[in-house]
Amino acid sequence: MAHINPHGTPLPRLFLISGGQENPDNSSLLLKQLELLPRSLSCMVQIREKHLEAKQLFSLAQKAADMVLPTGTRLLINERADIALAAGLHGVHLPESGCPPDKIRAVAPDLLIGCSVHSSSSAIIAEHSGADYLLFGPVFDTPSKRKYGAPQGLDKLGKLCRSTTLPVFAVGGITPQNVSHCMREGAYGAAGISIFKPGEEFAGNFEQFYRVLYQ
Amino acid sequence: MIPSSPFLCVITDEAMCPLTLAEEALRGGAAMIQLRHKTASGSQLFSWALAISRRCREYGALCIVNDRLDIALACGADGVHLGQQDIPAAAARKLLGKKRIIGLSASSPDEAIRAEKDGADYIGFGHIYPTSSKDKGFDPVGPEMLREVAALVSLPLIAIGGIKRENAPQLIGHGASGIAVISAVSRAVDPYRATSELVYAINRSF
Repeated sequence: MAHINPHGTPLPRLFLISGGQENPDNSSLLLKQLELLPRSLSCMVQIREKHLEAKQLFSLAQKAADMVLPTGTRLLINERADIALAAGLHGVHLPESGCPPDKIRAVAPDLLIGCSVHSSSSAIIAEHSGADYLLFGPVFDTPSKRKYGAPQGLDKLGKLCRSTTLPVFAVGGITPQNVSHCMREGAYGAAGISIFKPGEEFAGNFEQFYRVLYQ
Repeated sequence: MIPSSPFLCVITDEAMCPLTLAEEALRGGAAMIQLRHKTASGSQLFSWALAISRRCREYGALCIVNDRLDIALACGADGVHLGQQDIPAAAARKLLGKKRIIGLSASSPDEAIRAEKDGADYIGFGHIYPTSSKDKGFDPVGPEMLREVAALVSLPLIAIGGIKRENAPQLIGHGASGIAVISAVSRAVDPYRATSELVYAINRSF
């Protein structure tokens, strides 16, 4: 099943999320990650730098948007549809408690809009509200989400995937080794933060994910 | 449009529900409500902004959203107020169009002049007096600097920071088009009364 977004082509199945709270001061990591993207493999990229003020976030988004990225790559930003529009990104990723997707769509019809969901009921709400894709997690144990309690697990992922027609990206402790379990539960793709730290393993991890996600 | 006679802008904060505060302030005669809440979720901000916008329209007042241009766009607010660390005014203008309002914060003559060049519709200038509402990294600019800036820029100036009904009239005399307050209303025992007393003080001043 290939999901079409407002830009007309299927969404990539691999989803890189930048920064996160565990990396408070290194927003330039994102630009490093974008440089390291294998040229032939497209992916979803979410700029998520909660420690940055809007001015810095806008500047970072502009720099990212100016880069030449692999064909089909979608650049999104967490929460701030205004910055997505102003910097010319493809889309916005809304937290579960974010502005309703349909309200964003009404003023930004061409933006790709994704939503984080933590339950089947919020998946249904997000789909009715016009989201283009969903992000669900944490599926497995992951250091950055331990403070929120136990991971949601594969069963809940499966239940959620069956409750929606939207593509669902699994997030939280996903590795090239366990991602096939998520796909079997109906996930469309996989997302990660810490596994995509810039370094020697970056390209290797990327390619390993690709082999499972596109087999 | 920005009111042409001296007006009061009431800014919401975490001290009380923004919707309740806006209601009291509108009843008390505020001509502008700025929704400012740094910790609320996007959905919460959106529903507040939508409700306050509607109430403002009924009162013939303006609803301005602080920082979150996305929320201002989504709820059809009258405009956005941007600080020095927020999205640049030029980028905001492209998204908002010419008819809606962009307010910029300034705390020096240079920043005020730049705000005018950047296409602001008004300047929030301050803080004039010491204030506990915001964690400021600098001393109050004082009423004299307001007078100086009023001579340098032609945009409406909204004075902010530690303003009370006792000192508000003087600032209008120094060239402010309006007065903005946070805690003077949000932390008042009776926000409605605090608002109407400020509105009275401002209008008595000329």
